[in-house]
Amino acid sequence: MTQSRQIEKELFESAIELAEPSARTAFLNKACGGNPDIRNRVEKLLAVHASAEEFFSGSPVHLTGVTAGPDLTSLMAVPPVRNSAVAPEGPSAVIGRYTLLRRLGEGGCGVVYEAEQGPPLRRRVALKIIRLGMDTEKVIARFEAERQALALMAHPSIAHVLDAGATESGRPYIVMELVHGVKITDYCDHNHLGTRQRLELFIQICHAIQHAHQKGVIHRDIKPSNILVALENGVPIPKVIDFGIAKATEGRLADNTLYTAVQQFVGTPAYMSPEQADSSGLDVDTRSDIYSLGVLLYELLTGQTPFDSNKLLESGMIEMCRTLREIEPPPPSTLLTTLGNTRLAAIAVQHHAESGHLISSLRGDLDWIVMKAMEKDRGRRYETVNGLALDLQRYLDHEPVLARPQSRIYRLQKMVRRNRVVFAAGTAVVAALIIGLGTSTWLFVREREARREQVRLRLEGENRQKLTQAMLLLTRDQFAAADQLIHGIPAAEAGLEYAAVYRTLGDWHADHERWQQACTRYAVLFQIGALTKREVTTNSLDCLRYGAALVEAGDLAGYDRFRRSVIACYTNSPEVVWAERIIKVSLLTPADSALIRTLDPLARLTAESLEQSEPPANRGAAGFCAFSLALMKFRDGDYHAALAMCERSEKLESSNIELAASRNLVRAMAQARLGRIEQARAELARNREAVEGFHHNKTPYEFWWDGVLPKILWREAAAMVKE
Amino acid sequence: MNDVTLILDAIARGEGHASEELLPLVYDELRRQAAAHMAGEAGGQTLQPTALVHEAWLRLVQEDSRTWQNRAHFFRTAALAMRRILVDRARHKRSLKGGGSLEKVWIEGMDLAGVTAEDQVLLVDQCLGRLEQEDPESARVINLKFFCGLTNGEVASILNVSERSVDRQWAYAKTRLFEIIREEI
Repeated sequence: MTQSRQIEKELFESAIELAEPSARTAFLNKACGGNPDIRNRVEKLLAVHASAEEFFSGSPVHLTGVTAGPDLTSLMAVPPVRNSAVAPEGPSAVIGRYTLLRRLGEGGCGVVYEAEQGPPLRRRVALKIIRLGMDTEKVIARFEAERQALALMAHPSIAHVLDAGATESGRPYIVMELVHGVKITDYCDHNHLGTRQRLELFIQICHAIQHAHQKGVIHRDIKPSNILVALENGVPIPKVIDFGIAKATEGRLADNTLYTAVQQFVGTPAYMSPEQADSSGLDVDTRSDIYSLGVLLYELLTGQTPFDSNKLLESGMIEMCRTLREIEPPPPSTLLTTLGNTRLAAIAVQHHAESGHLISSLRGDLDWIVMKAMEKDRGRRYETVNGLALDLQRYLDHEPVLARPQSRIYRLQKMVRRNRVVFAAGTAVVAALIIGLGTSTWLFVREREARREQVRLRLEGENRQKLTQAMLLLTRDQFAAADQLIHGIPAAEAGLEYAAVYRTLGDWHADHERWQQACTRYAVLFQIGALTKREVTTNSLDCLRYGAALVEAGDLAGYDRFRRSVIACYTNSPEVVWAERIIKVSLLTPADSALIRTLDPLARLTAESLEQSEPPANRGAAGFCAFSLALMKFRDGDYHAALAMCERSEKLESSNIELAASRNLVRAMAQARLGRIEQARAELARNREAVEGFHHNKTPYEFWWDGVLPKILWREAAAMVKE
Repeated sequence: MNDVTLILDAIARGEGHASEELLPLVYDELRRQAAAHMAGEAGGQTLQPTALVHEAWLRLVQEDSRTWQNRAHFFRTAALAMRRILVDRARHKRSLKGGGSLEKVWIEGMDLAGVTAEDQVLLVDQCLGRLEQEDPESARVINLKFFCGLTNGEVASILNVSERSVDRQWAYAKTRLFEIIREEI
């Protein structure tokens, strides 16, 4: 412990014993004497002390089980039951003129608190503050976009933006209307609202979304937890919240690269439109909201979503996208007929109707309206939200609706060829074949197969869900969340399609120089490859990754094992590009001559390719080949040859700065070994700045290996010239 | 004489490597007990490190070995073991929430007003390393207080210092660690 810290500690410990602030000040005056730095430090510690106490006050002594705990599903929602905001003990955090009272939830790129605005207003608000994550700038930009998007809107059914600002530490925040309400689905079910009443609420929601669309904002995450129903003067008013992932299409907010949907979205794929699932949200327009509204309507009318979120996730990314793109869910009335009697009766009660009547009331017009909103082909959906609202209004007024059942030919074209359909939860049906003839549909049930499938799926289900969610998260750059999610899943359950997840997360850790964690991820990547016995899972680039990560993590024994197995594996490969890589990844640290000899076949291959390198297009690649050979010569003790190879490499490829640096370092080390220490030192000094800059200046999308190889070599070289 | 007692005596004699042998034994015992606790309790499923650690002490160490030095070693080891258990559990909880409830996914970051128990454990674990390098004494206090839930008095007897001293050290350790946590996030 440094001396100044020791002093700070002792001063702090003494000061903390003095309860009276005046006594403390007096003490510090005396003790710190003429040293303002120490005094500042101690005062800072004392200031932080209260927050520290609060942080530690909830001790970890009681880690409760999964079932306990409140269910914070709705952001900014406060249950309409009497709201007793529990202020945390001790000083609360104050941001601007708002005092934080309690945390309501998290999502998007922020956390939402209930806060109280200072005098004279003294009202309760929702304050959403940004979370600091990896790409702070990116996240701030997203947040700022959200704020601007929200500020554009003024509609009674959209939560208002009241204020915005930034904290002392520069974290932006938005202050919004605090909505005291419940999820719309809960509201309707608990109050046993009938179909007509539900439609009336839904139409109001449509108007709100339409308003947003007219302002150029797509919500992109319409689902029940984002639509709360609040009571104003006894009248239920739906409120759309969390435009947190909204994207504005007009004005200076339009910039595709910045705005991506965030992870709250990931939890409910049931609401994702086919184009959202497909393109990861890039080519999405207002009609995507219409689809989601269709799903919401479906759920309001039947109590189920057309597809089950869990099952979608379990089926894996590819399958999920395919399902959303291709599988036709049954129309609402049909779905109800497939439910068991008890389930149906329960739903009917929530709709204040009796079972048979409920089904028949949905059959026909409402079926068609819902299915039109949910068309896979967005050109066939309602063009505007208004269109949907108007059709519903026509239904309520007993006027003819515009939606029509699909023509017979059209339906035959959409006939499902596969035997599996992802169905709503609560039904025992897993396999179904839909044949559309006339106005009714049949469902063929393969019950025994379904049952067997269920058992198998149930066991694998959870992990697959997590892996799929992780994939979705990764498409949205939510690395930390994805990493956390897949922690501990054994490689055996990961399977081929998820290899990319581990590679991406390994790279993410590597980008941040968390080498231990990177190794863990890469290890699983290789395990998957070994288990599935498919070489396509891991390639030579992956060998570069894992090898370098092991060295950087300091696991030299592991690295040695790794390189030996990799050499054995690739020795007979005909691809020269691989050979060159395997050589260099195997020689990141010195190697005994036995090992170097095992590289001979690969070296021969590489050398051959070098000789055939005359066509200009290949010269760059040849430059890399020469470098790998140079490294090998160096390791083999043939220093003059190593230097010669470096020369050759430079002649062939001199524009790649990382390669140049690596080359210079091998040169330096060869010089050192030949006794030319001063030359070596000079070379090292010349390259130091560049090597240090590689990792820092890299963008997240570049491969980290390029900058790490010179770093590894530099360390070795530096140690060498010190001797 | 059982294994643990033998090891403790070896440690007391100054045989350094014996410390490493102690950890796995203690860890196993604590984990077993934690699992048993969890299985037994209906619904609540709370995990109380203090009780576990004390029980482990009673079960593993024989009467005549309970000198204060052995106590110190044992509890320090137990703190390490408990830390691992709690961190694993917190991570597991986090990932379950991420996969299961579909509403909350843990993001790196910190909010001050209302950290969950799991966040707390993980944050402390993450940043404790830095504190260990800077100030091993404070880190030791954190281990014993936070991961074992020992009282100031118990910590005092383990470290063989006065209770007031522990009060002060604990206050500083918390504050400094919290500063580090804020910096890291």
